[in-house]
Amino acid sequence: MKLLKDIKALVEGLQIAGKHLGRHAITIQYPEERWTMPERSRGIVVLLSDKETGELNCTACLLCEKACPTAAIRIDAPRNPETKKRELKSFTVDNGLCCFCGLCEEACNFSAIKMATKYEFSAEHKEELVWDIKKLQEVGRDVPYVDTRKKKSPAAKPSVPKDTPPKSEKKEHEKKSQPGEDKGKANGPEGLTTSDQPEGEKKPNDKKGQS
Amino acid sequence: MVELPTEEFVVNMGPQHPATHGVARLILTLDGEKIVKIEPVIGYLHRAIEKVCENRTYAQCIPIIDRFEYVTAMSCNYAFSLAAEKLAGIEVPERAEYLRVIMLELNRIASHLLFYGVTAMDIGAVTPFLYGLRERELIVDLFEMTCGQRLTYSYNRIGGVSRDIPKEFIPQTHEAIKIIGAKLSDYEGLLNENPIWLARTRGIGVLPKETAIAYGVSGPVLRASGVQYDIRRNDPYSIYDRFDFDIPVRYHGDCYDRYLLRLDEIRQSIRIITQALDGLPGGEIRAKVSPNFKPPPGEVYSRIENSRGEMGIYLVSDGTKKPLRVKARGSSYNHFEVLPQFGTNLLVADIVAIFATLDIIVPEIDR
Amino acid sequence: MTGKPVLFIELYGLFHWLYEKLQATGLSQAWVNIITYTALGLAIFTLLALVALFLVWWERKISAHVQQRFGPMRHGWHGWYQTVMDAIKLLQKEDILVDTRDRLVFFWAPVICFVAAFSAYVVMPWGKGLIVADLNIGILYIMAITTFTVISLLMAGWGSNNKYALLGGMRSAAQMVSYEVPLVASVLVVVIFVGSLSMVDIVKAQSGLVFNWYIFRIPFGPIAFLTYVTAATAEANRTPFDIPEAEQELVAGYNIEYSGMKFAMFFLAEFINLFTVSAIAATLFLGGWNGWAFIPSWLWFLVKTLGMVLLLMLFRWTYPRLRVDQLMEFAWKFLVPVTFANLIVAGVFRYLGWYW
Repeated sequence: MKLLKDIKALVEGLQIAGKHLGRHAITIQYPEERWTMPERSRGIVVLLSDKETGELNCTACLLCEKACPTAAIRIDAPRNPETKKRELKSFTVDNGLCCFCGLCEEACNFSAIKMATKYEFSAEHKEELVWDIKKLQEVGRDVPYVDTRKKKSPAAKPSVPKDTPPKSEKKEHEKKSQPGEDKGKANGPEGLTTSDQPEGEKKPNDKKGQS
Repeated sequence: MVELPTEEFVVNMGPQHPATHGVARLILTLDGEKIVKIEPVIGYLHRAIEKVCENRTYAQCIPIIDRFEYVTAMSCNYAFSLAAEKLAGIEVPERAEYLRVIMLELNRIASHLLFYGVTAMDIGAVTPFLYGLRERELIVDLFEMTCGQRLTYSYNRIGGVSRDIPKEFIPQTHEAIKIIGAKLSDYEGLLNENPIWLARTRGIGVLPKETAIAYGVSGPVLRASGVQYDIRRNDPYSIYDRFDFDIPVRYHGDCYDRYLLRLDEIRQSIRIITQALDGLPGGEIRAKVSPNFKPPPGEVYSRIENSRGEMGIYLVSDGTKKPLRVKARGSSYNHFEVLPQFGTNLLVADIVAIFATLDIIVPEIDR
Repeated sequence: MTGKPVLFIELYGLFHWLYEKLQATGLSQAWVNIITYTALGLAIFTLLALVALFLVWWERKISAHVQQRFGPMRHGWHGWYQTVMDAIKLLQKEDILVDTRDRLVFFWAPVICFVAAFSAYVVMPWGKGLIVADLNIGILYIMAITTFTVISLLMAGWGSNNKYALLGGMRSAAQMVSYEVPLVASVLVVVIFVGSLSMVDIVKAQSGLVFNWYIFRIPFGPIAFLTYVTAATAEANRTPFDIPEAEQELVAGYNIEYSGMKFAMFFLAEFINLFTVSAIAATLFLGGWNGWAFIPSWLWFLVKTLGMVLLLMLFRWTYPRLRVDQLMEFAWKFLVPVTFANLIVAGVFRYLGWYW
């Protein structure tokens, strides 16, 4: 009879809701407990420094500035007339404009810029969201990263012009041999270890929005 | 016997309202409780995405197009990449196609779970909202593990995907879809046979087949009105023709059918994901695309089956590295327009139910 | 019984003591009564305020745990004094008054609601011998007093000078008036068998075995209980009948324009109403303060009432909301015939003596 069916459905609904009363909650109490963010989590932009010398990895190639869709990165890097290389004068990231897309990280060849997993950077005034090179480097000091630069002195790198298809292809072929071992398997070749970085970083070199 | 004069009054279900998902505005003319006229007003969420894209390179457009319909951001990225790849004739590697399909279907499940929660909440039952979101967390965690973001992924690139999946992805995905498949029976037990739910959704908001086709309605709304049309079958893109899945169709066209259909679609998506995970090949994840990507001049319209309906990107290129025109077609625009057609036997509460089951997302309307 | 009023209370002898002391000081009888009853009223008022605070906290916790989250956690262990903080916050809020309101009506609406809600506790049997006044029209008095809430909702809707509030007020008036009929008819079933309207008599009639409770007396008991619970959720304006405060449609209905303390009065009155209908259910159908003697009687009463409150809270957090015309249809086309049929059957059984 329809009435009994209705009552049964109502009681079943109550049971489903009621059985959750005994279960533990799935939420955590922020800020006392914090979630560990996955490694690839795209948080704020930071500038990475060399692990030994502590200097910035950035070579002022301006690739990230060109890759950013919201013009959040502003770099002032005039060319030194004698050495013909760019020298980094100022590097600002406006976190208010940043859309956390990660294109800058993909564009960089020198492991200089990264989206760290930090996400707590509120400020009381809009101007405080604009971070200069000092703050970017300071926040980036304890961010783990994989150094993908060639083992030469950093100063040599900037002379490489912006789009160099042959070199990047070669790098790609090198990198492809790594995943090639696991080609047949269904699993991705990467784990969530530091070998994670190179796959993503190398590929975009020739596809990113360089203008 | 004196007839008391009554007059209609105009109520604004304004841009800020708990039941319109986002900033959509409806001007209702009420006669007592019955609705006499509905007038939808749009434009409150216009962000000029299409114009902004005209000044960005193709790769920079991807995060911008993400925001076009942020609940299913994977589909937005994918539609744009598909358009650019069609224009330039790029062939996408196998592994990338499989990964794209897995992500698209996971996104579809996440969107339908959100639909379930929000619809239940609009009709009054608040608890299913939390249950739907709890399951959606599993999927969103998978996305965060792979591409780093939980809502606006920017995962696809022209020619493939940006990053390969980490090694925890596959076991965790299997786990997630197993849990979601099991919880579906919980959701159905909570609402499907509930007499209050049936009274609120069965027979309400019937959309006849002809009206649906005339207004360009697509997706689950169309299929609930009896038209068996799914772009994945009728106009296949990517590698959907390799997978074995059904297209659920229902014939009443009321709110209840639209709700049931989306739950069925979750099951079909789970089937597709399982097949895709089993058949995932190795290989590259991105085709070689030049850094200054300049597709040949021309125009292309690429359309995909979003969880809401047909999502299309019409791309016009003039040979430079920035697109000449990007037009995004969202299905919610047509669904919002079809609201006045639902007949005059409605109460305010019915409009809320219809609005919820049409699964209208306002950024798609206003772009 | 020299000079003591007929209606009196024994709260473990406390008010007895106060009464004796005051009489000994030689004040006139009138003053003694006034002081004693004022003290009693204050005690009940405090108790009810505490009950309301507890219920608000409990609702938040139950709803949270059904949704697998925590609810209030910061103020005290698991947020036990969260409601106190909320009350303090509401007290210091600005009382926003719409210029075009109907002043008298707007002001008195929350007052009437509050007073009506609290007045029902004059005849509530909290335990053996714990009743303020054992009126011999007990349950009728409660039904009459809780109807005042209808007037206050209408006043709130009208006085706010707001279309949404007016819609909410009208709907709520229609709803509450319609559901009074099945409510009273369900209650009458019990009254038929007890033979008296007095709350204490009703509880005494269920003493003895658990099977004496009216919920177990087949066939009219369970039906009366179910219809009572349904009508009671409608009277208390709770989901699935919470059209007057349907957030998703009317953005809080009749109390849109109320802020600060006035809103707090509506809010507390709602929870007191909830406790009232649950207490009546516990008294009429679940045996009141009857139970095994190793737990004091008032504890039994509280346990049963809170059990009913839990049931009503689970209703709110599980079921969707009925549309207003469906609600009215359900009341008049389904509940009224069923309760009247039940009443007739109960009457026949009583007449024929087929009950136990």
